[in-house]
Amino acid sequence: MKLLIKTNIYTTITTVLLFAMGIFIVYEVILLKLDREVDEQLLFAKEKIVKGLNDGISSNDFLSNIGQKIYVKKVDKQTVFDNKFIEYIEKNPNDASSNGSITQRELLFQTDVKGTIYEVTVCSSLTEGKKIGDYIAVVVLIFLVISVIILFLLNRLISAFIWSPFYDTLTKIKTWNIKKNEVLNFKDTDIDEFYLLNDTVKDLTHQIQSDYHNLKEFTENVSHEAQTPLSIISTKLELLMQEENYNEKQHKLLVQIYNATQRMHKLNEGLILLTRIENKQFVETNTIELTQAIDEKLEVLEDFIEAKQIVIEKQYNKKITKDVNPILLTILLNNLFINAIKYNLEESGKIKITVDDNSFSVENTSYVDKINRQFLFDRFNKNSISGSLGLGLSLIKKIVDFYNWQVTYSHKDGIHKFKIYM
Amino acid sequence: MKNGFYLIFILHLANKTEPMRILIIEDEKSLREDVVDYLTENGYKCDFATTIKSAMQKLNDVVYSCALVDVGLPDGSGIDIVEHIKKNSPEMGVIIVTAKNALEDKLQGLKIGADDYLTKPFHLSELSARIYSVLRRRNFGGKNSLVFDGLEIDTTEKKVIANGNQLQLTKKEYEILVYLASNPTHLITKEALADAIWGDKADMATSFDFVYSQIKNLKKKLNEADLKNYIKVVYGMGYKFKD
Repeated sequence: MKLLIKTNIYTTITTVLLFAMGIFIVYEVILLKLDREVDEQLLFAKEKIVKGLNDGISSNDFLSNIGQKIYVKKVDKQTVFDNKFIEYIEKNPNDASSNGSITQRELLFQTDVKGTIYEVTVCSSLTEGKKIGDYIAVVVLIFLVISVIILFLLNRLISAFIWSPFYDTLTKIKTWNIKKNEVLNFKDTDIDEFYLLNDTVKDLTHQIQSDYHNLKEFTENVSHEAQTPLSIISTKLELLMQEENYNEKQHKLLVQIYNATQRMHKLNEGLILLTRIENKQFVETNTIELTQAIDEKLEVLEDFIEAKQIVIEKQYNKKITKDVNPILLTILLNNLFINAIKYNLEESGKIKITVDDNSFSVENTSYVDKINRQFLFDRFNKNSISGSLGLGLSLIKKIVDFYNWQVTYSHKDGIHKFKIYM
Repeated sequence: MKNGFYLIFILHLANKTEPMRILIIEDEKSLREDVVDYLTENGYKCDFATTIKSAMQKLNDVVYSCALVDVGLPDGSGIDIVEHIKKNSPEMGVIIVTAKNALEDKLQGLKIGADDYLTKPFHLSELSARIYSVLRRRNFGGKNSLVFDGLEIDTTEKKVIANGNQLQLTKKEYEILVYLASNPTHLITKEALADAIWGDKADMATSFDFVYSQIKNLKKKLNEADLKNYIKVVYGMGYKFKD
């Protein structure tokens, strides 16, 4: 959930609750005040009535002058000594304006006027007051709804405005690619926290980028600079090996040195190749028909296939034509097939090559168990197979990535299968 | 050393009794010395130059059979030398040497008439084999053969005659034999042999096994023709032809 929506929800809920409470209190207070007011009026009427009774005014002469109804009757015995307020709802189907019912509040008292006990009921309608209270409540409610909506929108607007540098930063970090040498430029902001965040991210990415480039450059330089001394070492070694009369120990040492140097050579070549693919140095493309390229590759490797008596099964369901760099395609096929040959069984080995609509796969029998998938395409992951440089699969992956293809590996019933989706 | 180096071998084919003269144009001292030593041992007469200027001087003074030219020279591109040679001494063989990745240099060199190219680093035995092959190709019309005691390798007809009988060799066996024979008395490492036959297309370990089995067959066929000691296996290192 977005931060904006979340904060907005909380503020909205709080506002609604507060307003609801406010309306309730206001409504109650108004009603209370209304009752008091009516009570006061009733008491005032009582005073006048008592005075009037004392002055001898006939009970029938009391007229309602302030919307009050007064009923006076004589009683034999005084049973009520204080003021009694009663509230009740009177059904009045004729009065449409009040939904047929009127809330009445009456004061009942008994008074002794010169020996005669009068029971007086003063009645006053509450409906008008209640109506006012209702109106007020409705107005407040409308006001509440409007303010909540306005608040909600305003909040959204302000938040969106305030948080926009943050989202900008987020988007830029998300699309940032360490391999592209781009500097992050964030939106200007006067919010301290965002400013600090941008500044920190900027410093951080700058640091990462420079570390990455240093490291990359270092690797490149090492492999490039190593080329010349390595060539010198192996050439000199070849010359040294021309000499004769070495004793057995010297001979053995020489062989070991020479083998290690050759290994180093191949390793270095592989690393340089990886770097060159990374640096996009194989951009020129030719239109190549895949099955033809595969057949040519198999012909080159024929010697090795025959030497191991491997049976090749080809299943070309489709001809795929691709615009690729011929060198990269050669390296890709070479590595796939060399692996399939090299790790194949010594006897009755099989390789099956399938070409489909937009993929091709190489399946082979092998003396090697299932390869741990997690590190399959990592550099120098040799899966404890000796004699391998551990760069082959890494090269495959690199080329596949370069063309945005996919490579999958599966292992079933002793058959290793590499499938490339083009 | 970005552009690699050009070594120019110049073969002078007119005078066959004299050792063939080769001009090596290479500014890297260590490599130049190795090449000169190795080729001298193989019976060539070697001169060297380290700059374009001195190379031009030598080319004007002496007639060479072949030149080995490094592309990246301190005073310019070796391509200029190749052009000069092709204009002035078209009969001369030229091999250019480029850095591993300088594909453009290679293509340009071949376009203007270089006979062959080598990428650095290379095996000295490979260089020797390439020179032999360039010299042979330049000497068109004449019969080319490597002749040893009881063994004749006809490189025009691609035939091998052992004690008067033609040996039936596979293509790879023949290639291996020619490669070894063009570097007589030298130790040819198994890497050099594998590289020469498959380039860097094949995986090392796999190709060594294959080289080994090919050599075994080859030796067997030579043995059957009563030529016992032509190929010697130097344990762990490689092979030697006619020790």
